[in-house]
Amino acid sequence: MTVFRAAQALTVKRPTAARAGARRARLAANSALAVIGLCFVLPLAWLLLASVDPHAGYQTRWPASPSFANFAAVLTPELLFQPLVNSLLLSAGTAIVNMVAAVLAAYPLSRYRSRFNKPFMYAILIGTSLPVTAIMVPVYGLFVQLQLLDSMPATIFFMATTTLPMAIWMTRNFMDSVPLELEEAAWMDGASGPATLRKIVLPLMRQGLGVVFVFVFMQAWGNFFVPFILLLTTAKQPASVSVFSFFGQHGAIAYGQLAAFSILYSVPVLVLYTVVARGSKFELSPSIAA
Amino acid sequence: MPDSTRRRAIKHRFLRLLPVVPSILLLALFFLAPVAWSFGASFTDAALTGKAALHPQWVGVDNYARMLGDAVFPLSAWLTVVFVGASAILGQNLLGLAIAVLMGKAGGTMNSFVGTAVVAAWVLPEIVAAFAAYAYFSQDGTLNQVLGMFGVHGANWLYALPMATIILANIWRGTAFSMLVYRAALSEVPRDVSEAALMDGARGWQRLAYITLPIIRGSIATNLMLITLQTLAVFTLIWVMTAGGPSNASTTLPVLAYQEAFKLGDIGYGTAIASVLILIGLVFGAAYVRLLRGEKQ
Amino acid sequence: MRRRARMGAALFGVLALLASAACSSQPQTNEKQTIKVVYQKTDSFTALDKVFKDAKQEFEAANAGVTVDLQPIQANDDDYGTKLALAQRSPDTAPDVFYEDTFKVRSDVDAGYLLKLDDKLATWSDWSTFNEGAKAAGRGDDGGIYAVPLGTDTRAIWYNKTVLQKAGIPVPWQPKTWDDILSAARKMKAADPSLVPFNMYAGKATGEGTVMQGFYELLYGTGNSLYSESDKKWVLGSKGFIDSLQFLKTLYDEKLAVDPADALDSNVWKKVFGEWLPQGKMGATVEGSYAPSFWQKGGAYEWPGYAQDMGVAMFPTQFGQDPGGVSMSGGWTLAVGAKSKNADLAFKFLTTALSKKNALAFDVDNSQIAVRTDVASDPGYQAANPFVKDVSNLVDVTHFRPATADYPSISLAVQEATEAVITGKRSPAEAAADYDASVRKLVGDAKVIQK
Repeated sequence: MTVFRAAQALTVKRPTAARAGARRARLAANSALAVIGLCFVLPLAWLLLASVDPHAGYQTRWPASPSFANFAAVLTPELLFQPLVNSLLLSAGTAIVNMVAAVLAAYPLSRYRSRFNKPFMYAILIGTSLPVTAIMVPVYGLFVQLQLLDSMPATIFFMATTTLPMAIWMTRNFMDSVPLELEEAAWMDGASGPATLRKIVLPLMRQGLGVVFVFVFMQAWGNFFVPFILLLTTAKQPASVSVFSFFGQHGAIAYGQLAAFSILYSVPVLVLYTVVARGSKFELSPSIAA
Repeated sequence: MPDSTRRRAIKHRFLRLLPVVPSILLLALFFLAPVAWSFGASFTDAALTGKAALHPQWVGVDNYARMLGDAVFPLSAWLTVVFVGASAILGQNLLGLAIAVLMGKAGGTMNSFVGTAVVAAWVLPEIVAAFAAYAYFSQDGTLNQVLGMFGVHGANWLYALPMATIILANIWRGTAFSMLVYRAALSEVPRDVSEAALMDGARGWQRLAYITLPIIRGSIATNLMLITLQTLAVFTLIWVMTAGGPSNASTTLPVLAYQEAFKLGDIGYGTAIASVLILIGLVFGAAYVRLLRGEKQ
Repeated sequence: MRRRARMGAALFGVLALLASAACSSQPQTNEKQTIKVVYQKTDSFTALDKVFKDAKQEFEAANAGVTVDLQPIQANDDDYGTKLALAQRSPDTAPDVFYEDTFKVRSDVDAGYLLKLDDKLATWSDWSTFNEGAKAAGRGDDGGIYAVPLGTDTRAIWYNKTVLQKAGIPVPWQPKTWDDILSAARKMKAADPSLVPFNMYAGKATGEGTVMQGFYELLYGTGNSLYSESDKKWVLGSKGFIDSLQFLKTLYDEKLAVDPADALDSNVWKKVFGEWLPQGKMGATVEGSYAPSFWQKGGAYEWPGYAQDMGVAMFPTQFGQDPGGVSMSGGWTLAVGAKSKNADLAFKFLTTALSKKNALAFDVDNSQIAVRTDVASDPGYQAANPFVKDVSNLVDVTHFRPATADYPSISLAVQEATEAVITGKRSPAEAAADYDASVRKLVGDAKVIQK
């Protein structure tokens, strides 16, 4: 089938049968998607409804007397604020370490040709495929040996490492798309390497960096297993762990509060995602899979 | 002076690569060292408590031999295969592709509704998603309410069909990734190609099977590889929903490694299981790299 | 080209910064005498938290310059055990004073986590008020004392009198054999099919609860046991083991106990205490002597009527053989970390927390059986709840878990056997065979004995 034939056909067929077929197809697609969408929304409906229902159970139902009592009950320093602050520290720390390390690593990988680049990038790629849950047992052992257990900075560095391969991969792809000519012009004007990186390259890949930051931040924010094993003091635990222990203790009783707690904990990443997804196309695929 | 020039060049090359060093250090300390430690510890009886905690002994391949004789390990390995196969390779992958294809045909409002719904489950923190799924499948949860509307009396899913439940939950949670990958891939399929096929009278599924899929096969392979690896590592979702039960009916390898190492304090055996998982990950990783290489040539 | 070299140097600076940050991530160790105390606290278990808070105040007032750092871990028994073990591995995270389950004392002594307290106890006059059985709870394999008990407990049948009466069963009720239990449970079920007539825990979710408030009451009433103290070997292939599993199977198959799906919920005991018994939806359950702590004033599931509505009965032996009943005892201790840098202060804090006043408060709040004789004879303790005397008498027929380092993994194998049986995955004989196989694998053929 050649493009030519297609073009010919286009002029003939389009107005009649094809359009009706397209309308039918569209209707079918719409209804199929509606069903799928509903299936995906249903489990979330419970979360939303139960959070405003002081007498919530596991049933999804319209609250008889909707109120924010559940939110009020969990809005305490010990239960909510401290864990959220810890989550913020962990996630922001992880994201910053990632950004610094990834930008540094990406620069020579993107700018210089070297025999070292290819094996390194492949090693990085294999690194992305290491199941993090599998290395938690040895990481715990390592932390004991190095006396890093219960240390926030060490946990940050470890969490950063788990996302680092992906971050380097993404950052390099974004950096590749910044044309080299601009930099060369700056060098001509006498700017130093770090200066061009700071003044030319980074500003141009601002959006890309935003995507990497949010990607890493979200991973760290949602991470439960790593802080659960590596941080022991209650005062250092992030919200993911405190939500879990709240569930362990109140899961059978305070469903509504659990839902409210979960929502308050989820809002920051939902907002972040929305902001970034709106600003730039947050289609992970090209950057991940390229 | 050719010699000093050469030395300068070498020094230069070294300086150029210097910025990569922090990353290498981090990866070496937190990735390579634990992996090496894992293989090392898997040949000992290291433990959280008891005499072995004080003086771990070298036990050779005992831990690996025990795996083969263990009733739980083979079951657990099989459940992991089922979990990955059903929830990632079939579930997330096909559903993600279907949604992406359907989105190409449906209206904008519907697309953004479905897109938001699917992505929401993915963006939520893992533990929250796990609770939502737990509530959804529990005895008096939403699923049974919906079934009740159709006059079906639902079971206690988490207990009666634990594997099916965690598989569905993981599809719900992870389909967004495949959907995003396929949407991006499909958006790059040249319009005239599919329109040409349309005009040739090819039916929808024929176009998909013979034209679109071959074009995006690279994305399909990449996606399969990545979701396989992600699903292999799923722990929190299962831990919250079934904790591996009842009677180990949903104990995948990460759950088993956690139980052995941390709940029973048998670090040696736990790391042996972890080492097997790491090996599986590496095999997939290597296959993935080969695939990308093949793709480029 | 020089520019790039300079850039490399600048980046090296950043790297150095990164590296130094990595190094400084080690926790500081500049203490001005801090005692770190790790213990469990949940919404239904705050008694210890209260004791420690009081003791902290008392101790800091008496010892200027010393800070007591209370670190409650909010988790169930199982997760608490895991977290504590994780913390003990490393000298910087290991606590100075901690709350330790008696059954873990020996394995943690072996691991070198617990400090031997013999010298220190010799200087503590109160130590003589602890009864002998209690002292044994903290003994290691070498005969030294490593932990001091807070209290102990026994297990009994707790039954709702009104539910039994409705089914025509006269109260006070005291079953003499296992069959008595089954026939009473069937009667209750017949009178009200929506009831849970007689519950015993099973499965892994309830952890030690499954064995302590369930399987062992059965096993130790058959004449068999889990461990032969004389041979120092684990008993395999006993008929009692299979019979015990069979009894659980009957309970669960006939729907006399809770739904198996509920039994595998780690929070099931909350429903037992908080909903089913108070609301008259459950006839009886096997539970610890600490049951009143949940129902009394200030408890997690306050129930003013419990003193009138509830009754206590001894769990019978299989066919009523001597001594006629079975109970299990456990309890928790306080111990000092072997790696503690302030061991003397830590021990001093331990004695403050276990003083007569604090021990009394804890035993009353948590419905523990006192281990200090001066607490046991205190009128405040005896009047704490109407069941103190009944449950204390069970000490005569009580058993203790094998105090060996490998006990925790054996216990899990037992829990797995019960889970396999109540979920119908295995017959009692098959589950017992599985159990035998796993025990052999865990401890080796030399440490088992076939009965």
